[in-house]
Amino acid sequence: MLSTRTWSWIAEPGCKVTVTNPTDAELVSACLAGQRDAFDLLVERHQRHVYQLCYRFVGNHEDASDLAQDVFIRAYRALATFKGDASLGTWLYRIAVNTSLNKVGSKTPRPIALDPLIAASDQRLTSAGENASEAILRAERSGQVRAAIARLPRKQRTTLILRVFHELPHEEIAGILGSSVGAVKANFFHALNNLKKIMSEAGFDR
Amino acid sequence: MTSAHLSDSEFVDLAEATLDARRAAHVDQCDACRAQGAMLRAALHDAAATDVPEPPPLFWNHMTARVREAIALESPPAASPRHWRGTRGLLPLAAAAALVVAVGAGALLLRDGRHEEKSRAPQTSAAAMADAVSGEVTAASDPDAAAAWEVLTTAVSDVEIEDAHAAGMAVHAAALDHAVLSLSAAELSELARLLQTEMKRASN
Repeated sequence: MLSTRTWSWIAEPGCKVTVTNPTDAELVSACLAGQRDAFDLLVERHQRHVYQLCYRFVGNHEDASDLAQDVFIRAYRALATFKGDASLGTWLYRIAVNTSLNKVGSKTPRPIALDPLIAASDQRLTSAGENASEAILRAERSGQVRAAIARLPRKQRTTLILRVFHELPHEEIAGILGSSVGAVKANFFHALNNLKKIMSEAGFDR
Repeated sequence: MTSAHLSDSEFVDLAEATLDARRAAHVDQCDACRAQGAMLRAALHDAAATDVPEPPPLFWNHMTARVREAIALESPPAASPRHWRGTRGLLPLAAAAALVVAVGAGALLLRDGRHEEKSRAPQTSAAAMADAVSGEVTAASDPDAAAAWEVLTTAVSDVEIEDAHAAGMAVHAAALDHAVLSLSAAELSELARLLQTEMKRASN
């Protein structure tokens, strides 16, 4: 759908530019030139990743949805400060991490437990070739791991989320967190160690 | 076994299968490092197996619409009024400023009594806004609200609507309606306070 959309805006007075499938940088420029609707496309492009990142922190749809909206509003307000040194996605991740950490604060988030029966009947949660009981087990296991991740210290949790679920390189995570690659790797090591420990203590270990 | 045990960083490389061959050779010979590495890989596998439940199908369209509505109330990201340009201290007040602009633009339109021909907003929208303003503010018996409205109208009394448009202060019609309709007396008072603070700061 995105590839077929054509965006037009006035780059300079009297000079009409038509761009098909514009880059993020072009859309940012359009926004800064006053084209609010260019921001719609940026939201469409990045909302899934932003929402999923927020969900990883808060563990429920309602809060994740509110947080993701907040992230985009903050991004819009701060768009003029986006320098393009990193990708827009990375910049949005940074805002999302800060917004999410502010939301969860120092408290341990309480993910809403997924009802296994609902999970089993929900085809969106059932992988191909998976029967209902397998889906229940997987949903239950997934909830347990999410609960354990939620108990990790903030930096460890953030590092694990960005590395495992968003597959960001350690260098990019270091940029987002304002730390070194070595510190990111150390955090990741401790995150995995602690995750195993928490799951074991909670009886979630296999 | 002659080399040192893996560092934290190297364990991460091991778990991610990016450890260099020389250090990997150590792991082959070291039970402790091998056990630790296996434990990390298991944790990584467990974590990676969790997924985020897919939201309802219409959620993504809804999200885009929600953001669009929210930013309609915002000032354009790079188009500040001329005399405020470069005043970094105003940035934290962007949200409040958007509402002030909305109300201010409403006051401009009402003051001039020519909103139908001057405003770029649809006629129905401007008329709805005027009704909303007169109903919300002039009929209010709250003296604080009346005083707040006085401050707002004074603040925009020297601004021409053309200048406001040229300065990028024009707001979306729906934003105007939304702002005016949703302002309570207390919110109006708070806007007035913010505006007074900014006017004081600008004059210093």
